[in-house]
Amino acid sequence: MTFRTKLFLLFMIALLLSVGIVVVGVTTVTRRAFQDSNGAHSEALVAQFEREFDRHKQDIVHRVQGVADAEATVRMAIDLSRPKADVSVYVNDARGVSASHQLDFLDFASDDGSIISSNESPARFGYKIDWLAQPQDWASLGAFLMRVDTQDGPALGLMAVSVVRVGDKNLYILGGERLGKDFLASLVLPSGMRALLYMNLDPSFQAIDLVDESGPVTDGERFGQFIEDERAQPGAGSFKIAWTPDAASAESFHELPLVGRQGELLGTLLVGNSQREVVMLERRIILLAAGVAAMGLLFGLLLSWWGAARVTLPVRKLAEGAREVSGGNWRTRVEVKGHNEISQLAKAFNRMTEQLSEQRERLVQAERVAAWRELARRLAHELKNPLFPLQTTVENLQRAKEQSPEQFEEVFRESTGILLSEIDSLKKIVGRFSDFAKMPQPEIAAVNLNETIRGVVKLFESQFGTVGRPPITPELHLEEGLPPIQADEALLRRAIENLVLNAMDAMPAGGVLMLRTTHQNGEVDLEISDTGSGLTREECDRLFTPYYTTKQHGTGLGLAIVQSVVSDHGGRISVESESGVGTSFYIHLPAKPPERPASVIVEKASSNGE
Amino acid sequence: MKVRSLVLLAVTSAVLLAAGRAEPARRPRYGGRLLVEIGTVVSSFDPSVSPASAEEAAAKEEICALIEEPHKPEGACAGTAGSGAFRIAEWDPGKHLTLEANPSYRGGRPFVDSVEIQMGRASRDRLLDLEVGKADVVEIAPEEARRASQQGVRVTISQPDELVAVAFVPHHMISELENMREALSRSIDRAAIVSFILQKEGQPAGGLLPQWSSSTAFLFSTAVDLAAAKKLWAQISGFHPSAPTAGAAGTAVSPKIVLGYDANDSLEQSIAERIAVDAREAGGSVTAVAVTRGSPGSEDARIVRLRMASPNPSEALARFMEVLGPMTGANTDPPRAQATPQQIYDTERAIVSGYRIVPLAWFPRVYGLSMRVRDWKTPGPSETWPLADLWLGDAQ
Repeated sequence: MTFRTKLFLLFMIALLLSVGIVVVGVTTVTRRAFQDSNGAHSEALVAQFEREFDRHKQDIVHRVQGVADAEATVRMAIDLSRPKADVSVYVNDARGVSASHQLDFLDFASDDGSIISSNESPARFGYKIDWLAQPQDWASLGAFLMRVDTQDGPALGLMAVSVVRVGDKNLYILGGERLGKDFLASLVLPSGMRALLYMNLDPSFQAIDLVDESGPVTDGERFGQFIEDERAQPGAGSFKIAWTPDAASAESFHELPLVGRQGELLGTLLVGNSQREVVMLERRIILLAAGVAAMGLLFGLLLSWWGAARVTLPVRKLAEGAREVSGGNWRTRVEVKGHNEISQLAKAFNRMTEQLSEQRERLVQAERVAAWRELARRLAHELKNPLFPLQTTVENLQRAKEQSPEQFEEVFRESTGILLSEIDSLKKIVGRFSDFAKMPQPEIAAVNLNETIRGVVKLFESQFGTVGRPPITPELHLEEGLPPIQADEALLRRAIENLVLNAMDAMPAGGVLMLRTTHQNGEVDLEISDTGSGLTREECDRLFTPYYTTKQHGTGLGLAIVQSVVSDHGGRISVESESGVGTSFYIHLPAKPPERPASVIVEKASSNGE
Repeated sequence: MKVRSLVLLAVTSAVLLAAGRAEPARRPRYGGRLLVEIGTVVSSFDPSVSPASAEEAAAKEEICALIEEPHKPEGACAGTAGSGAFRIAEWDPGKHLTLEANPSYRGGRPFVDSVEIQMGRASRDRLLDLEVGKADVVEIAPEEARRASQQGVRVTISQPDELVAVAFVPHHMISELENMREALSRSIDRAAIVSFILQKEGQPAGGLLPQWSSSTAFLFSTAVDLAAAKKLWAQISGFHPSAPTAGAAGTAVSPKIVLGYDANDSLEQSIAERIAVDAREAGGSVTAVAVTRGSPGSEDARIVRLRMASPNPSEALARFMEVLGPMTGANTDPPRAQATPQQIYDTERAIVSGYRIVPLAWFPRVYGLSMRVRDWKTPGPSETWPLADLWLGDAQ
């Protein structure tokens, strides 16, 4: 994964996180805001209900007092105050009076609480309302909730009591209004809200007792558990009902207990608040946020791509420059713009390549000088050995000519023989140097490396066990099925022979010579290891330098030739050595060499296995 | 003294003078149109057409008695049309009927020239029409008699000859429980029904015949026995025929009696609702439901109204048993025609002791009359409207 991609992904992740946090934050804040708003609406409705309830109470009190103040009622009270008064004549009065005073419930009761006339239950005449005749300040009590038995069954009423006293006899007027759907219809509710009334008239929850402004509530059974909880423990509370799996169908309800004179629970007002608008608005906000997020992401994607490209451009140029440098282009320079860290890095890179180039130049010059010096030293050393016999032989010839002419002929024969021999040595020396200078171009053909190795080992087999010398044990670990490689077998054989000879030279006290072949990734690998005394790090570093040798009589061309052969085949050679343990050479050859052999890459070597 | 004597003389003279002027008005006078209003609707005088209700049947019989002579025992309007005191002049079925006097009536021409009968008039409208002079004879519900009288309406009240009772429908699971029938009977406050609903125009009924007819009605208790009723309701509260496992499970199931009343009869409705209240106070459960007369219903019992067919107790009782026997399943033998009071009492006792018939109250027929109606004779049992015998005087 490129740096640009990583940077781009980093930007995107940061953007996603930012957008996600914003979306979640906006949604959460919005939801809470709407929940608070809903709560406020519900509280307002509850407050409105309480105000409406108080207003109804006062209205009921006034209307019942109006009945008590009516002339007919006063006449009734006067009539009933007489001894042996006939109450039956008034049995139907409640119906007409309640209609004229717009009261749903109206009872006239005598001094002992016996019903004289009842509108809601006309047939209950004569029966007593025990609590009515008990001492009570009805005026200060005001209106109160009460369970009212009607002909159609029990009902919930908002009632008030007025008393007309004539002499020592009271006439009680108990009147009120039915609390039900009509009362709920009188409440003005905001859109999405509704008020339900549960009339606690039965021993257990009955769905028919739960009404809204149009009558019994549809699916009233769903409220059963909540109502039962309220009945068990009266008090304000709230709950939520999801009518369908869709969250938008949910409706939250606030409970307001309605109690009677004795504090008994007679009903529960449920203020319902539909969650539809909230959920729909929340969904719209989420959709909007998602849209904005998507747009932001798209924009961020483009911006990140452009930004990553812009930010990584100098880095890519640096990387490209580094690749150029690694490819051998030491004079590579990267363009420098601005004054930020990247530009400073680019400047440093340019300085580095410049310094590297200069150092390399100096190193090349120094190595060239050193090589020339070494060459000169070698050449001088090689040439000095044959020259000294040549000089001595010529001097012997001169002395023989001057001092012993009779022996000159014999001396001449001997001397010319010596001269020819030494001149032959000189020619050989010059030939070796010439051979190195003129390494032949490889002639490529399919080569079985294992067979080549076996041939080399067979060639040196007699020398491994030479009498009077510690034996060297060859160990071959040649991979079966090694693919043939495209190479010049003669050059390869020469390179392997040089390495085997080096290994033999490194093991004067005998040892193990191990040759191993493997192949992987289209390459054939050859390892040649000895158990000799090993090399120092400096020796490893200069090992492939032409004319460098650690041996007394070496030319310093053997490993240079090996390196040249490997290089000509597009391969690599490296060396690992540890002092006292041995040395290993690793050759990696492509199965098929490149059209134009690349430069040999000399891998870093170390004397301690690094 | 002289002045006082003169004043006394003047007053006495005035009274005598007034009496002298009124004396000619007491002689029957021919002519005039009698305006009658009834609440019932009669749709047909065809004897083959069955009346929709007992009230229609009764009204049909009353009218047919005016246009037929003699009245046939086979039923209303089975006689010869035109043989009665009146003949039909105009007939708008269900609304209006005009009868004209039959001069060839064998009993003599009626005093009035014609009778105009308005049908289906509401009780309040009838009273108003009477007060403003738009009607001469109107039917008044017994429960409105007292108020009408207090308002100055000329009211005439018959002997209480109509019985209202609860009749249990036979072969119903609930109605077959005698202790439940007894519990209901003992729960009912008959005195309250008479005092409040009938406005004291009637008598609580413990037996089937009124005191004025049988002279033994006082032997039947009409008092509410709340303690006994509560005990009986409690005894049967653990048993409900429709819940066969209730008793075994030990769960108390409140027994419920469905009590039907005529949907068009407000008196029956009031009484049924009062019975429901009384039963509830005693621990029982009665549901009052409106039913259409003659239609089969699911009620366990019904409110019934029975008018005496004869002032003779044995005849009246026998007629009651003819009607109530099939209705309730009571199979007591009717009394003989010349039965003694003791035999009549025993028969009554045998009928009511099974509580299949629970008498509630007796109430009279009440009519409102205008001031110009003369010689009205309130009809008794088996008697019809005496329209042929009355005459119209001055409104004063």
